[in-house]
Amino acid sequence: MNDIFQCGDSGALVAYLYDECSPGEQELIAAHVKRCAACAIEVDALSATRRTLAAWTPPDLALGFQITRSDVAAAANGPARILEPKIAWWRAPLPAWAQAAAALAIFAAGLSVGIARNGTPGPSTSAQTAGAVPAAQSATMASTGPRTVTSTVSRDELAQLEQRLKSEMSQLRPVSSVAPVAAQGSDDSLLQQVKALIEESETSQRKDFTLRMVELAGNIEQQRRVDLQTVRQSMGQLQDVTGAELRQQRDALRRLVSEQSR
Amino acid sequence: MTRTDEELVARAQGGDIESFNQLILRWERPIYALAYRVIGKEEDARDVCQDAFLRAYRALPGFKGQAKFSSWLYRIALNLCRDWIRRQRRAPVSQLPEDADATELAAETGPVESIEDLVARRELSAIVEEAMSELSEEQRTAIILKEYHGMTFQEIADMQGCPLSTVKTRLYQGLSLLRRRLEQQGQLIPQVVKRV
Repeated sequence: MNDIFQCGDSGALVAYLYDECSPGEQELIAAHVKRCAACAIEVDALSATRRTLAAWTPPDLALGFQITRSDVAAAANGPARILEPKIAWWRAPLPAWAQAAAALAIFAAGLSVGIARNGTPGPSTSAQTAGAVPAAQSATMASTGPRTVTSTVSRDELAQLEQRLKSEMSQLRPVSSVAPVAAQGSDDSLLQQVKALIEESETSQRKDFTLRMVELAGNIEQQRRVDLQTVRQSMGQLQDVTGAELRQQRDALRRLVSEQSR
Repeated sequence: MTRTDEELVARAQGGDIESFNQLILRWERPIYALAYRVIGKEEDARDVCQDAFLRAYRALPGFKGQAKFSSWLYRIALNLCRDWIRRQRRAPVSQLPEDADATELAAETGPVESIEDLVARRELSAIVEEAMSELSEEQRTAIILKEYHGMTFQEIADMQGCPLSTVKTRLYQGLSLLRRRLEQQGQLIPQVVKRV
């Protein structure tokens, strides 16, 4: 750098700002900055900008890269890998097999609940169902007489319907009687898994809620800042106006006093 | 006992993996911060950071110690950032992660910082990030290396492969643009020249 500092030398100002010039140059520029308002303001503003830059922080990610012995062995033949073992287990994405297992567990839970709700149609239910039609039929016959019944459904049709229902029930029975037994064995573990899933869901909901609250607080704060800025600007304008009026009045008074003294 | 980078490098060159892992532990945060600030994306910065260490590990036998290990590592990371930017074929835009977990952030800040302070800090950080994204790649990199990594003008010039005067110009122009942008955002009070 030259011994003589020229006003507006941005390179020299930057060197001064970052304290990267020789002590002699530093003194020279400092002396100039004391005299020159423009350079003083420039240095002040750039220093303020630098202070504001300190606010920018990168996100705090879990890194924890490491090279392991197996990776080194692999590197001899091919590219090495860097492992990331430090990621918290609840933050790490689930492997595909775990996701598939979770999906299967949910499906199994749904299936067992569905089966439990429908109930197991045992023989007694079947008998009740089979007997219900004749019973209702006989009741109807007793109250309205045989004419109305024979006019709507014949005995043969009812017998066919009963036969068909029986055959369908017999097909369904083995499936419905086995499924609950199979599900019973894993009920406890399924319940635990379902509970865990519910807890996980609740936790994520709580987190979402907190996040929303923080965002809301952020929006409110932002609005408050904008309002404050507007108020400050208005106040500044008002002060300017008031100041100008005061100056005018002062000038008028001075003029009056000077005229009177003449 | 804390070993110097040079000692750890020598041990790693001799086959001691743990020494290299200590170097990673020592430098992963600054390298990640550099990558994040240059390219502006969390996950990509993480990948760049990992790739930088991987390349450094592979190239370690060829490292003769002409420069500091950290400078060598920074250069590798910066080259990877440049490659990433070229691949993107557009000006990199920093972005505040939309899914940033404010609860975790709040937990990290400790009991002293109120929610208002936290919000204000995040807001200011986002404003600075946005203002930085408007600079040219060279200006941004020069400011990042100077402000956040404390490099000298000469180190930046070596890193960017340009004369020292160019570094000063980039810093001055970048800071001036940031100043104007921050003044527009109401984060700095505009200065006017007063007549004396």
